[in-house]
Amino acid sequence: MQETTELSPEPASVLSNHSEIDPTISIKDLDFAYGSNQVLHGVSLDIYPREVMAFIGPSGCGKSTLLRCLNRMNDLVDDAKITKGSIEIHGNNLHDPSVDVIELRKKVGMVFQKSNPFPKSIYQNVAYGLQIQGVRSKRKVDQKVEESLRKAALWEEVKDRLNENAYGLSGGQQQRLCIARTLAVEPEIILMDEPCSALDPVATGRVEELILGLKNEYTIVVVTHNMQQAGRISDRTAFFYLGELIECDFTKKIFINPDKKQTEDYISGKFG
Amino acid sequence: MKPNQDNPFKARLSREKLTENLVFGLLRGVTFFVLFCAAYLFWDIFSKGAGKVFEGEGILNWEFLTDDPQTLHVLNEDGVEQRLSSKKYYALKDQKTLNRWNEFLAGSTYESSQQKLKEAFSALEKEWQAEEREEIVRSFVAAEKDRLVNKFGFWKDLLSDIKATAVDFEVPEADVPAMVSGYFLGHLNQESNRLALVKSEITRFRATHYPIIEKLNVGNLQSLEEAYRTFLNQIAKPYGSSLSSFSDEIKTTYQKFLDANGPKEFGHFKEALIAYGQVREVVISDSAESSVWKSIQSALKPFEEAVSVSLPSTDYAYSGGGIFPAIIGTLLLVIGAMLIAIVLGVFCAIFLAEYGKSGRFLSLVRLAILNLAGVPSIIFGLFGFGLFVIFLDWNVSLLAGWFTLAFMVLPVVITASEEALRSIPQGFRESSLALGATKWTMIKTSVLPYAMPGILTSSILGVARAAGETAPIMFTAAYAKRSELPWEGLENWTDFFFQGVMALPYHIYVVSAKIPQNEYTADMQYGTAFVFLVLVLGVASLSIFLRNRLRKKYRW
Repeated sequence: MQETTELSPEPASVLSNHSEIDPTISIKDLDFAYGSNQVLHGVSLDIYPREVMAFIGPSGCGKSTLLRCLNRMNDLVDDAKITKGSIEIHGNNLHDPSVDVIELRKKVGMVFQKSNPFPKSIYQNVAYGLQIQGVRSKRKVDQKVEESLRKAALWEEVKDRLNENAYGLSGGQQQRLCIARTLAVEPEIILMDEPCSALDPVATGRVEELILGLKNEYTIVVVTHNMQQAGRISDRTAFFYLGELIECDFTKKIFINPDKKQTEDYISGKFG
Repeated sequence: MKPNQDNPFKARLSREKLTENLVFGLLRGVTFFVLFCAAYLFWDIFSKGAGKVFEGEGILNWEFLTDDPQTLHVLNEDGVEQRLSSKKYYALKDQKTLNRWNEFLAGSTYESSQQKLKEAFSALEKEWQAEEREEIVRSFVAAEKDRLVNKFGFWKDLLSDIKATAVDFEVPEADVPAMVSGYFLGHLNQESNRLALVKSEITRFRATHYPIIEKLNVGNLQSLEEAYRTFLNQIAKPYGSSLSSFSDEIKTTYQKFLDANGPKEFGHFKEALIAYGQVREVVISDSAESSVWKSIQSALKPFEEAVSVSLPSTDYAYSGGGIFPAIIGTLLLVIGAMLIAIVLGVFCAIFLAEYGKSGRFLSLVRLAILNLAGVPSIIFGLFGFGLFVIFLDWNVSLLAGWFTLAFMVLPVVITASEEALRSIPQGFRESSLALGATKWTMIKTSVLPYAMPGILTSSILGVARAAGETAPIMFTAAYAKRSELPWEGLENWTDFFFQGVMALPYHIYVVSAKIPQNEYTADMQYGTAFVFLVLVLGVASLSIFLRNRLRKKYRW
């Protein structure tokens, strides 16, 4: 199999024995439906601190839906609802009525498929999250903007033109700016919904490098169509098919020696 | 293929080609026709109206743009035609009067006329001495009573021998009392016309004694006579006091006239004299023969001649002066209506686009809004009249006009704003929410600013169109003529909103529908239309300028 050559390095040692640490996100027997159309069927999955988890699967398999459940973005869809099961972060049920969705989204940041910076300056884009939280101190905001842009490996490229419109940046830079914007509100978990699907190979490479760098501090969940990408950046991979979680294991194992036939078929390109 | 064979690409006539040419010709023809009509409209208004705006000294006709509408006086002196607005006409007339007055002052007859007037006035003053005035009123009442004795005597005769009366007047006996009360009522009517000053007192007397008048007989006719005599005694008093107030008025105006010695002061003095004369005529029966009155009349003659300057002119209403109050009124109406429409419309649109969940209720609301757009403007006028002017009791006012116009453009504003909001990429909303924004913060920071160019452009254009409507404002806000500007003569600041204004569209309607069109009035009509078109073009350009600026700022 050609993918073996592109696999990520050995998973971090903390991940080698999952039973000893508490998962960050714990999805338990989740059923999810848009109206009468059920999209997720009994998904159970644990995601551990500071790992990169990749969701793969053919279009319409429910991987993006699951991702959007993790910060309750699905609340925006009119009749979307969880019909069974629960999602817990550090043991707290996300869909409990007492949960403040605003606080949740500060802790669980999200980067979208299409890079969508606001039509403002680069600086204001990164400062946006702080400003809506009411941070007034200019010094604090400046500091945070620089820190976030550095983490997103964008600082050197944009430090001289912070006040220019963000739409003057290239596609890859825009996507990294969106990541910086997310980092500025200090999330613990970052969700990425096909972050590289609109980028050229060079820009994709830079975003992947960035993701690998970020996993030292953040728990990252990536939805991707690109299996090589999943192989390059993720520690573990979950394969979804028709709304069901078929298999979830270390990326290396999924790509070399999957347990399920469906997984093998998908990875070897028999369908998808 | 042989070289001399027919060219395979040679043009051939076919049905498709014919249709193609026909369609092309038709489309081009229709487009050119529309273009021609639009060009004709602008050319017509501009060519006829521009003259009014650019005539006279300087580049612009400032009088037309900054003055209030007045009557046009066309003078024809010695074959020279002059067109004057009311202000100028009366200024000219005053000037001429003053000249003539000054001539009179310098003339030889002045001294003697002045002396004669002084003598006549002091005679009149003597007549006002308190005792004499009371005497005059007393004698007036006495004369009235004498007249009454005759009348009542006559009526008594009629009633005391009903049989004879019935024969004489050829009426049934039963109708005689009614006939007599008819006479009495007729007498009262005559008196109230003659003694206009005490008209209301006579009416009250008639009302209080109506039960007796209705059923007259010899007995109660006696008591009615008594009552009427008492009544006459009572009204003697108001007569006395009104005479004295008139005489005071005359004295002050006469003094002023002596001090200033101008034609205006003389006019006031004469007016006071005329008013006094009317009362005097009623009270003093010998008024016409009175030597005092005659001498003062004749003493006034030379002065009267000196101020009576005639300046014959042909008048055309609304055709002189300018349209400044109408320009200001229209601007105020447009600005106010725009603010109200944008606030109401944007709030509705935000609810519909961002908060409303799609369903039957929302489609019902949308349907209602779309239907509102099809309602004729006169209906909006009636709606505004009924709701704001009558029910809310705002009268004909700016506020009522603002709301009526705002409701008229509301469908346009809501639809346009909703479109503008929906055209903002969903990604802005999602990323804003994902960064921890509440829904309102999201709308405020990541949707509304970017939708604003679209909202403003369509709204301003919509309001500019509505500003040209006459029907909605003719019942609610517009006056045909009002010379005061809206900020003039306000007692407190809230009055600003509760006053009617002039407006260009209504003014165009008034000048073109209510006065005949001829060479003297046409340039006012077209000039107003021209100014209005320029104003609308200005508003439209403003909205385009604004859109371009904001677009440049928020580009994605």
